[in-house]
Amino acid sequence: MTFSRQFWDLLLVATLLFGGVFIWTTRATSDAVATTPAPAPAAIQPAPLVGHPAPEFTLTATDGSQVALSDLRGKVVLINFWATWCPPCRAEMPAIQQAYDRFRDQGFLVLAINQQEDVASVVRFMSDQRLTFPALLDSNARVSADYQARALPSSFFVDRRGIIRVVYRGPMSRGMIEGAIEQLIAETP
Amino acid sequence: MLPIIELGPLNLGSGALLLVIAIFVGHARFERVARQRGGESLERRASRCAPFALAGAAIGARLWYGLFNWDMYRQSPGLFLALRLGDLAWPGALIGGALAGYAYLRLRRMDDAAAPLADAAALALPLAQMIASLGLLLSGEALGAPTDLPWAVSLFGALRHPVALYYFLAALATWGALAWVARLAAQPGTLAMAYLALQGSAMLLLEALRVDSLVASGGVRVAQIIGLAMILTALWWKRTQTTSTP
Repeated sequence: MTFSRQFWDLLLVATLLFGGVFIWTTRATSDAVATTPAPAPAAIQPAPLVGHPAPEFTLTATDGSQVALSDLRGKVVLINFWATWCPPCRAEMPAIQQAYDRFRDQGFLVLAINQQEDVASVVRFMSDQRLTFPALLDSNARVSADYQARALPSSFFVDRRGIIRVVYRGPMSRGMIEGAIEQLIAETP
Repeated sequence: MLPIIELGPLNLGSGALLLVIAIFVGHARFERVARQRGGESLERRASRCAPFALAGAAIGARLWYGLFNWDMYRQSPGLFLALRLGDLAWPGALIGGALAGYAYLRLRRMDDAAAPLADAAALALPLAQMIASLGLLLSGEALGAPTDLPWAVSLFGALRHPVALYYFLAALATWGALAWVARLAAQPGTLAMAYLALQGSAMLLLEALRVDSLVASGGVRVAQIIGLAMILTALWWKRTQTTSTP
């Protein structure tokens, strides 16, 4: 091609300018996470959807205790569906632990609901990864079905009134987790 | 969406499975293209260089991912070595692979093969990327922003841009364009630079539609910066070609 050097100089500068402006205007903003600021529940029917009361469940934890979601009213709860064979689930665990350490004193709890694995491998995973929040065993996958947690990981942020406020499928970054928790903790029940 | 493929007792992540297939196919294609374009001697160099480039790509991809998830990786540095095919980042793979491949050729005094091999890689990579983006589509990664467009896919409770599909089409278009350029261009390196320009544009434009990008401070998507740098590199190269042959 026979374009002059000036042509390429101009094209370089134009590309740099256009690219820079484009990158800046399309940068990621915090509202990429689907939150609903409206405090009023959208529905009274329990459903695994934003604005609905979180479907109720009682599950056995790895230490043998029974955990019921209804007992946790007043706390901000992250319900996280996971399995040890799921790489993105494992990937987000350290970030969840970090959020748990940071916010547990302010009324935040994590329920890590394991899908259909035996208690020994769950306990081993939790201790290997030094995870201290409760892991619950969904041995017949009934709770996973109630929450339509077909893709792992699936995460539901439940506010102090028991309403699902953020649903996130796929691994979360620390920023997403802590952003959602901060918002829900700041609210008065 | 089909994130997990069950093969008897094995649960294979579809994204990981297709990534492995993509690497095998891309590798085979790289050597074949090298043979077609440079005969047996170039093919031999390609097959010697490839393991180093692949290792560099793997290291680059993981380092890149770890650096941009630094809080998480700092807490558990073991993650840098963990066998997880999801924790990889494409810009790191491209940079790491190119650097390692070039370093190997430099050390073995095969610099003259760098441009022809880069051209061969440019012709092989789009195919591998097509397979890998199908993996992203199946596993639901490269999640897109919500949209009302008629081709939106329903994923995670919203109609979204099928970004993985866009990447597939971008790789297909790159492949077609490079096949066309390959018949015209004589200057070694032209295909590699055309690849940088096309894939850089794809990254700059498509990454904007993702909601799961790795971000730097201020929410700026890192892949877009790399995409822009790739375009600028190609343009700069073209400019130097113009000066040397006025």
